[in-house]
Amino acid sequence: MKSKYIFGGIIIVVFLGLMMYLFTQSNIEYADDFAKVKSSEKTVKATGSWVKEKNYELNNKQKTFSFFMADDKGNEMKVIYEGTIPNNFESAVSVVVTGKYQNGYFHAKDILTKCPSKYEDQKTSSSSI
Amino acid sequence: MIGSIVITLALSFSIISMIMYFLNYRGYKNTLNFGRISYHAMAVLVIVASAILLYSILTHQYQYKYIYSYSNNSLQDLGVFHLASSFWGGQEGSFMLWLLLTTIVGIILQSYASKRGDLEPRVMAVFTLVTSFLLVMVSPWFKNPFEYIWITPTFLKIEHLNSNFFHLPFIQQFFFTDQSNNQGFIQVNSEFVSLLSQAGVSINQFIIDGKGLNPQLLNFWMQIHPPILFTGFSMATVPFVFAIAALLKNDYKDWVRQAFPWLLAGMGILGLGIMLGGYWAYEMLGWGGYWAWDPVENSSLIPWLVGIAGIHTLLVQRKTQSQGGNGKYAKTNLILCVLTYILVLYSTFLTRSGVLGDASVHSFVDPGMVVYLFLLLFIGTFILLGFGMIAYRWKALNENVVSEENLLSRELALFTAMIVLIASAIIVLVGTSAPIFGQSVDTFFYNEMHIPLAIIIMFLNGLSLLIKWKKSDVNELIKKSIYSVSGALLFTLVLVIFGGVNDILMILLSFTTMLSLIVNFNIAVKIIKGNKKMLGAYVAHTGIALFILGVIGSAVYSDDIDINLEKGKTVSAFGYEMTFKEIYMIENNTKYAFNVHLKKGSTEHNVTPVMYMSDFNNSLMREPAILNLWTKDIYLSPLSYDEGNTDNNSTNHISLKKGELIEFENTTITFDRFNLSAETMQAMREGKDFQMSAILKIEKNKEISEVELLRKSVDGNITFTSFKSDELNLKIDLVNLTSSNIDVSISNADDQTKSNPILSVTASIKPFINLVWTGIVVMVSGFIISMLRRLKESMISS
Repeated sequence: MKSKYIFGGIIIVVFLGLMMYLFTQSNIEYADDFAKVKSSEKTVKATGSWVKEKNYELNNKQKTFSFFMADDKGNEMKVIYEGTIPNNFESAVSVVVTGKYQNGYFHAKDILTKCPSKYEDQKTSSSSI
Repeated sequence: MIGSIVITLALSFSIISMIMYFLNYRGYKNTLNFGRISYHAMAVLVIVASAILLYSILTHQYQYKYIYSYSNNSLQDLGVFHLASSFWGGQEGSFMLWLLLTTIVGIILQSYASKRGDLEPRVMAVFTLVTSFLLVMVSPWFKNPFEYIWITPTFLKIEHLNSNFFHLPFIQQFFFTDQSNNQGFIQVNSEFVSLLSQAGVSINQFIIDGKGLNPQLLNFWMQIHPPILFTGFSMATVPFVFAIAALLKNDYKDWVRQAFPWLLAGMGILGLGIMLGGYWAYEMLGWGGYWAWDPVENSSLIPWLVGIAGIHTLLVQRKTQSQGGNGKYAKTNLILCVLTYILVLYSTFLTRSGVLGDASVHSFVDPGMVVYLFLLLFIGTFILLGFGMIAYRWKALNENVVSEENLLSRELALFTAMIVLIASAIIVLVGTSAPIFGQSVDTFFYNEMHIPLAIIIMFLNGLSLLIKWKKSDVNELIKKSIYSVSGALLFTLVLVIFGGVNDILMILLSFTTMLSLIVNFNIAVKIIKGNKKMLGAYVAHTGIALFILGVIGSAVYSDDIDINLEKGKTVSAFGYEMTFKEIYMIENNTKYAFNVHLKKGSTEHNVTPVMYMSDFNNSLMREPAILNLWTKDIYLSPLSYDEGNTDNNSTNHISLKKGELIEFENTTITFDRFNLSAETMQAMREGKDFQMSAILKIEKNKEISEVELLRKSVDGNITFTSFKSDELNLKIDLVNLTSSNIDVSISNADDQTKSNPILSVTASIKPFINLVWTGIVVMVSGFIISMLRRLKESMISS
C-alpha cells in the first residue's frame, strides 16, 4: 500500500509545483484598458476593436501587418504584428492581440479575431434608418 | 412547427421512460415495459426530428432561423454532403446531433443492459435523465433548431430575399439601410410575416437564400469530425451511467466488466474525433500545426485523458476481483467514470456558454443568459448525482482486498499511468479554465509541462508491459528488456549524432518512446502468433509511441521560412527548387489557385495553395498546399499575392480629407491643404487647361518636409503627379483629387522596380508527421481490438 501512495504522491506534488511555477511564468492577463496596456511592461492580451477609418498596412518586405486598435473608451494604439493579416480580419468585431507595448507600438505575437455570426444583426440594429 | 412538436413529444416520452424505469428499479414490476416502449418512442421521435431538420436543410427551408443562419443555396453546388453539414454547423444543430447520437447509443445500451441481469432499469433511468436534459436543450424554450426566423425580429440582407415581392406596399416600412456600406436589409418579425401571408406570399417564398457556412468548415474532415466527436461524447455517457447504476445497487463487482467495453470504444472514437479535428486544422487553417492548445481542442482532450486514466485502473480492479471483493481502486474507478462524463459536459459548457469569450477562435457566440444557466444546471445536476452518490456510498466502498505491494508490479505501473494521465488532464484543465478568471496561459505552459509527462508515460509504457502482475524478479526483468533497451539506446544515439538532437529532455523522450515502441511491437508480434484477443493493449501502446515519435519529429524539428516566389524564378528552400508557375481560377472562378513546382533531383511535384475572397465574411481566405511524402510533409501556406504592377499594394490606397494623417512605416503623412488659386478657379470655369494641387506634410524622425502633388487638366485629359524620395524610401502617387478629399497610393520607393507577380508563402517542413496520424489510427484500432475482447468477457456473470 505504502509504495503506491509515495509514488503517486511524489508525481502529483512535483507536477503541481511545476505547474504552478509555469502558470505564473506563462500567465497572461486580459486587458481592455489601453492606458494600462501602454504603461505595463508585461505581456498582455489586449482586447479591443480595429479602427477601420485608419485602415491597415501590409508590409511585404518586412513581413509585418499593422493597424490601429481602440478600446471601449476610445484609447487608440498602433499594433504591429510580425506576420500576415489573419483570415477574417476585415469582418472581425473584436480583436485580441497578445504582446507587449514598446517604443510607441504594441508588438503583437499573436492576433485573434472574433467574428460572431450575429454580426450583421448587431451592426444594423445600431445604425439608423 | 412540426419539428418543435416532435421534439416536445420526444421530451415527454423521455421523462415518462425515466419515471417508468425508476419505478421499476424501486420494485414496480409492471412498469418495465412502459419504460422500454417510451424509450423507443422517444428514440423514433428524435430520429424523425433529425430527419425533418435534414430534409429542411436539403430543401432550403429558410423560414427556420437555424437554416437561414448556417446554410445557403450555394452549398448545394458543392455537393449534398457539404449541404448536409449545415446540420451541425451551428450550436442548435450540434446539440441536435449530440442528442441523436446519444439516443442511438441508448438503443444499443438498452439491448445490452436487458441481457445482463437486473441492470436495465437502473441504467436506463439514469440514461433517460441525460436524454431528457439534451431534449430540453433543443426544445422550443432553448436552442431549438426549428425556431422560426421571425420569433425574434431579424434583419435579413436583401440579397437573400425574393425581389419579386419588393413591390408590396407594406415592405417599405420594414426596409433599413446601413449607411456605412449601403447594405439594404428587411426586418422580419411576426407583424411582417402576417402582412406577407395576407398578401398571399409564404415566408418560404420570400426568403430564398441563407447566410451559409464559414468556408473553412467546408472540408471533408470537418464533415466527419463533429459526428465522430459527438459519438465519443455520447458513448462517454455509458460508463457514467454504469457507475451510478452500481452505486444505486451498492454492488461494485459487475459494473467494471460491463462498463469496460463501452469505455474502450467511447475513448477510441473520441480519440479519433479529436485527431480528425487536428487533421482538419492542419490541412485547412494554414498555420502549419495540428494542435494549438486552443480551448475548444483542449476541452475535448480533458475527458479523453480522464477516460484513458480510468481504463488503466479499471483493468486493475477487474484483475484483483478474482481474489474476491470489489477489487482495487473501486472508488477511483467510480470517480473517474463519473468525471469523464462531467468533463464532457464541462467541455460543452466552456465552448457553448460564451464564458471563454475572447479566448478562442472557434468558441460559439454568446448564447444568452438562459442557456448559460441551463448549462450550469445540466452540469450541476450530474456533479451532484455522481459525486453525491459516491459520497453516500463511501463507507461501503472499502476495498477489502489484501495484497502485497511491490515496486515492480504491473499493478503499480498501471496506477502510476493513471496518476500521470490525471496530472496531464489537470494541467490542461487549469490552463483551459484560466480565461474564466480573466487569466490565460501561453502555449508553452502546456508544452513544457507535457514533455516530462510524456517521458514518464513512455517509460511506463515500455516497462509496465514487461513486468508481471504481482511481482517481478529484477534479474529476469533485466534479461527480458536488454534487447529493447539496447535497441532504444542505439536509436537515440543515432538521433543524437546524426539527427542533431541535443536537448536533454528530447533525448530522454526519444529514448523512452523508442523503448516503448520496441517493447510493445515485440509483444504484439509474439501475440499475433498466439492468443490474438490479447493484442489490443499492445497495439494501442504501439500507436501512442508512434504518435509521440511523430510529434517529436513534426513539432520539435519542423522548420519554416517565409519566401517570395517571383513568377518563373526558382527559389531554393529545404533542398527543393520551388518555382511559382502560374495562377488560375478554380471552383466556378471563385478561388485563385497558385501552381508551385517543386523539384529535388529528378523528382518533381506540383502543389497549389489557394486564396480567395469569401462572401461569407468578406475576408481573404488562404488554404495551404501540402506535399505529402513518406518521411515528411512540405507545407506551403500562402501569405499574399502581388500582381506586380506599379500600384502594387492596393491596401495602401488611401483617401484623405483635409487635415487627416496617415502613418506609413514610421513616416507620418498629413494632408495639409489644397492649393487652389483664383486663376485656377477662373481657368476651370472657362474650361481651359488648369492644375490643382494638394500639399502634404511628411514627417520622419522629427524632420518635416512639404510636398505638392498636382492634378493637371490638359485638353480635358487629367493626369496626376507623383512624389518619390529614395532617402525616405517613399513614393506617393496621387490617384484622385476632388473638392473634399484626395486619394493617394503610398509605397516604398524601392518597390517600384518589381514587375513580375510575386507569391509570398511560408514554406515549412514537417518531418515524420505521417507518424502522428498513423500513430493515432493504430492506437484507435488497439482500442477496438480490446473492446471486442472485453465485450465477450462482459457477458460472463460472476
